[in-house]
Amino acid sequence: MKPALWITMVLLLWEGLGFLNPDSVLIPRPSGIAAYLYQNAGLMMRGAIATSQNALWGFVWGNTAAVVLAALAVAVPRSERALSAFSLLVFCLPLVATGPILRVLYGPGDGPQITLAALAVCYTTYLALLVGLRALPQSWEDLIATYGRGAWTVLTVVRARASLPYLFAGLQIAAPAAFLGAMIGEFTGAERGLGVLTLRAMRGLEVNATWALAVTAAVLAMTFYALVGWTARRTVGYAPVILLRAPRGTHALPLWQKMLALCVMVIAVLALWQISMDAFGLSHFFAKRPLDVWMYLSTDAQARAILLAALGETLVMTLPGYLAGLLLGALLAAVVVLLPSLDRGVMPVAVALRAIPIITTAPLLVLALGRGAVGTITIIAVMIFFPTLIACLQGLRQTPGQIVDVFNSYGVGRLRLLFSARIPAMLPAFFASARMAVPAALLAVTTTEWLATGKGIGVLMALTASTSNYNMLWSSVVVLSLAAVIGYALVAWIERAVLRVYASEQVT
Amino acid sequence: MLPGNIICNQVSKRFGETEAVAAISLTLAAGKTTALVGPSGCGKSTLLRMIAGLEEASEGTIRIGQETPRTLAKRGALSMAFQDPSLLPWRSVRGNIALGAKLARKPVQGVEELITLVGLDGFGGHRPSELSGGMRQRAAIARALVSKPEVLLLDEPFAAVDAITRARLNSELPALWHDTTTVLVTHAVIEAVLLADRVVVLSQRPARVIADIEVILDGPRNEAMTRTTAFKNLCDEVLTALEDAA
Repeated sequence: MKPALWITMVLLLWEGLGFLNPDSVLIPRPSGIAAYLYQNAGLMMRGAIATSQNALWGFVWGNTAAVVLAALAVAVPRSERALSAFSLLVFCLPLVATGPILRVLYGPGDGPQITLAALAVCYTTYLALLVGLRALPQSWEDLIATYGRGAWTVLTVVRARASLPYLFAGLQIAAPAAFLGAMIGEFTGAERGLGVLTLRAMRGLEVNATWALAVTAAVLAMTFYALVGWTARRTVGYAPVILLRAPRGTHALPLWQKMLALCVMVIAVLALWQISMDAFGLSHFFAKRPLDVWMYLSTDAQARAILLAALGETLVMTLPGYLAGLLLGALLAAVVVLLPSLDRGVMPVAVALRAIPIITTAPLLVLALGRGAVGTITIIAVMIFFPTLIACLQGLRQTPGQIVDVFNSYGVGRLRLLFSARIPAMLPAFFASARMAVPAALLAVTTTEWLATGKGIGVLMALTASTSNYNMLWSSVVVLSLAAVIGYALVAWIERAVLRVYASEQVT
Repeated sequence: MLPGNIICNQVSKRFGETEAVAAISLTLAAGKTTALVGPSGCGKSTLLRMIAGLEEASEGTIRIGQETPRTLAKRGALSMAFQDPSLLPWRSVRGNIALGAKLARKPVQGVEELITLVGLDGFGGHRPSELSGGMRQRAAIARALVSKPEVLLLDEPFAAVDAITRARLNSELPALWHDTTTVLVTHAVIEAVLLADRVVVLSQRPARVIADIEVILDGPRNEAMTRTTAFKNLCDEVLTALEDAA
């Protein structure tokens, strides 16, 4: 059946359901959404232009920073560990809290939106490009060396060009992430943009407006995603195998050296924090330094208790949503591989839905599922589900053809093939996705808490931002970033242990 | 210009605890072709990589005339065809072959002739992913030849090439590397005897020289030559040495 026919059928069904349930917030009629879009076309257009501009600038700045950091990590290999840890920390900063802080630092204007968009894209591009710059067959380096050429020729003739597909893979993930960052920035008190309109529509419980905004933001993000993909196909021109390397471990170092490296890293981050605040002469009232946060948390027992209780509430929601998203993503990928006829239907939809920033769908899910635990957990699961599904499908397909042939030559069934060959081949992709999902889950939960549930550290950050309790706000940022980094490290540790058994070539 | 003999003096190579090459001393004459044959994994390729300057010898020295392999490489006077064709996937066949001249800082000349010689007529604009394994290997051989190197190192370059093309390359390529000091690593005894002026047989790992056979044949080196008694006797001599090596 042709896609246009499918879409028409789905819309008609949707319209019919909406007609039968006129009061349902979950199923507003497409005609109502279309009418809203038509009647408010000018408003939507202005919002879309403002958000796109912010997302685009953030995309440019964040990705430029990522390229510089990755080039530095390759040029000076000793700096890689520090640069990777620093980029990860930036990625783990809770956007919900950094938004208000940036708003205070920048004042009115587009600064916070652009900065948050840049922060949202930097790490994923850095990671993809770093793998790309490294993913060089030894024989290519040998080829250059036999002509007496050195590292510079390897970089310019081979590495830079060979890393392009990886860079574009990173940029494609970054495209919707930039919209997500920009819209969160707009939530923090911007004057214009789709984020501002969404907040207004949610507070007024305007279902048609919320849906219309979600559709507009989703279409914008998907267009940007498709545009990057189109550019990649035009530029790269060949299909590379995307490698998913487990993070470099420090198992070869003795314990005291590991601890020393960790201490140096912590001191460097704290020093950077302090110096950047001092360099701009920012007031201690809103620009807290490391010592301010330490003094606050070590002396004020009540504040500590509030913060930890809020963190506990948040983590209790995060874990089930995180696990559900990961498992459902992997499970559906396995089902699609077992029933190949599903593949053509599922993959394009999943790719399209992955491009939609969660921020646009979260208000709809809150409207539909309510402000309780179910809504929050569902939002986290949805946030993680689509990237995991796509990563796992790609991983399952990377099972070497010859191994599949060996199994098939013994007449082994699909299920046995799945468990014995395909799932082990999928594990690197699954874990890469699980790692990236940790900060994503925390972003989803804090955003939902802030916008809807009124519980947890998300709302604590929003409240303290509005009451100018900057000690608590900065403390929340520190605690939540630490939780994200610890979660990420924990997944990376499990990943290395599992891959050492199932895919030892991925563990460097 | 001839670069001078390749002189390996007491060359050893160890990888951790494993010794790959054990105190080999060899002088490979300038402008001649030497074939290195030996059992699988004996260290032939390691020796070739040391001659290319890709590996440092753990002990001993390698000189090419008065130069080290590295200085020769920096002059663009050395090239190598690897077991893996190592073609850059974003370049066409023509672009990959031309890269050999560019990396050697030589003018890009004779690319089309080489494409014809290696039997890739009509494929010059194709990407490596559109070629078969054997075609890629032939493109890699053309890339090694385009810079007109003084020293040409071939690491089993015909392994993936079909028998008919292999026979044609065997008869046509030697004319191209005439006056070039060529070192060929191969498993195929017939190929070694047909192409080389000298066959060096190496032992099981760690590699040692166990036979050094000069190939003297009257007449052109072609398919017909392989049916002569003199050729067969030489092949038998190499095979016997190989059996001793195993």
